[in-house]
Amino acid sequence: MPLMTGEQYEESLRKLNMKVYLLGEIVKNPVDHPIIRPSMNSVKLTYSLAQDPQYEDLMTATSHLTGNRVNRFCHLHRSTGDLVSKVKMQRLLGQKSGACFQRCVGMDAINAVDSVTFEMDRKLGTKYHERFNKFLLMMQEQDLTVDGAMTDPKGDRGLPPHKQADPDLFVRIAQRKSDGIIVRGAKAHQTGAINSHWILVMPTMTMAKEDADYAVSFVAPADAAGISYIYGRQSCDTRKLEGSPIDVGNRQYGGHEALMVFDDVFIPWENVLMAGEYEFSGPLVERFAGYHRQSYGGCKVGVGDVLIGAAALAADYNGAMKASHIKDKLIEMMHLNETLYACGIACSAEGNKTASGNYLINMLLANVCKQNVTRFPYEIARLAEDIAGGLMVTMASEKDLKHPEIGKVVEKYFRGVASVPTEHRMRILRLIENITLGTAAVGYRTESMHGAGSPQAQRIMISRQGNLEQKKNLAKELAGIKE
Amino acid sequence: MMKRIGLKYCGGCNPHIERSRFVDELKRKLAGDFSLDVGCSTEKWELGILVCGCPVACADRPETRSLALEWIVVSGQIVDLESISENELATVVALKIKEFFEGRNPHEVA
Repeated sequence: MPLMTGEQYEESLRKLNMKVYLLGEIVKNPVDHPIIRPSMNSVKLTYSLAQDPQYEDLMTATSHLTGNRVNRFCHLHRSTGDLVSKVKMQRLLGQKSGACFQRCVGMDAINAVDSVTFEMDRKLGTKYHERFNKFLLMMQEQDLTVDGAMTDPKGDRGLPPHKQADPDLFVRIAQRKSDGIIVRGAKAHQTGAINSHWILVMPTMTMAKEDADYAVSFVAPADAAGISYIYGRQSCDTRKLEGSPIDVGNRQYGGHEALMVFDDVFIPWENVLMAGEYEFSGPLVERFAGYHRQSYGGCKVGVGDVLIGAAALAADYNGAMKASHIKDKLIEMMHLNETLYACGIACSAEGNKTASGNYLINMLLANVCKQNVTRFPYEIARLAEDIAGGLMVTMASEKDLKHPEIGKVVEKYFRGVASVPTEHRMRILRLIENITLGTAAVGYRTESMHGAGSPQAQRIMISRQGNLEQKKNLAKELAGIKE
Repeated sequence: MMKRIGLKYCGGCNPHIERSRFVDELKRKLAGDFSLDVGCSTEKWELGILVCGCPVACADRPETRSLALEWIVVSGQIVDLESISENELATVVALKIKEFFEGRNPHEVA
């Protein structure tokens, strides 16, 4: 059975030769770097839970290529049941990690590329789908983590790629050769890039004929020559360097994003999945975005579960749990969280089969899902902060708690109910801080806003998919309007 | 000879019960007469226990059902569609298992 253990995954990353910059320095060992390590632990969880019989039903699936059990992150959705299981798996991982576990982007990318390359080949006589299947087989057999890379830096948003002052602000084919292409550019906000074995690059938007060289998709090893990474800062990131795990909030897990730079990277033809077929750039972007918008109905809900639990514990430790307004705020948090989940399940259950055989989510409902995700985590976070109280952001440090002299003072004045150790209260408040303001807020809040497309992108899709003409006809029918 | 019973879990995203605690308790109640096989088997089990954490029982699918001739389905605080409190789950399921095998005609056993 081709499933790596978490330890095997960790060791596989050590063999990579990535060029990573963090805080102005080259990182020789990303796996053990204290700022990067929690994000690696989150991806590692996707491997270790797949080995556990208690979770394998969600974490694994049967490959349609080989009939073997594979990690669901390497699986193409072959039914609406698979789409539903995907969301449930993501909720589970959000619950277990309280963070962004990063591996979804690759799963969403392979599902989009599968159907689009199939349709591209059928119309244009190209051979991309065959190449993709070879890659997918390798991905499944080696249980790889693949980073799906879509977002270009984009420069002047008012100009198309070919009119930018700097042509590298969108990833492009800089040169075509007999044995492959040379690509140049960068991908921004790349979730989990440094914890990935391979990358799968896609165009960032629908490309027109003039931008054909920007309609490019390919796979490459994450440590291919010419690729470098600049790690993104996160709020409270350097707390991980202080030797005070309580102050980090969630010591074990985290997420990351990085700028991925392509400096004349050679991609052999066997790894190229689109090279100028611009009329298919739009469908690829739409489908990837659709799958990724579905994902948020799982992952953010799982983190929301953790935040709701933490807020309830904070209320317990504060002695405030019986207050009716506290109960009502927790109810509201649960209502909002389950609404997001309902959207994730709905767009999955209403999915449909594509020509390649894999299943696509309902696009309208996936965009509704993500539109809600751009709002509700902010309100859930606000309610958590309301319940937690101001101490969350004024509390002394772990070093003060452990201080030989003032530790007793911290213990005395930061205790809530007498039966709960002060340390427990501090720990749960730091966890809430981590998710609402700290390193995990990157994933829970701002990524909820902009990940898988900013709010306006979903509104455009809702407008396109909403079938307004049919709704007008319904109204005319009932109003007795005959034309 | 110890009888082998299959055991499959759901994916655990919404556990209304402590699935592993239930299974540990069930194993204690069955010790000596039955063994629980976790995961896949080369042969179909005579009986399987499907341990789902909530009433949705999303793991109850044709491909799971095909792994055993008969199933006892735990779906949160429900056993085979009957409500059972969490602290009685293991007792009820252990009894169902014993009744299943006692009721089997020896000539029907494959």
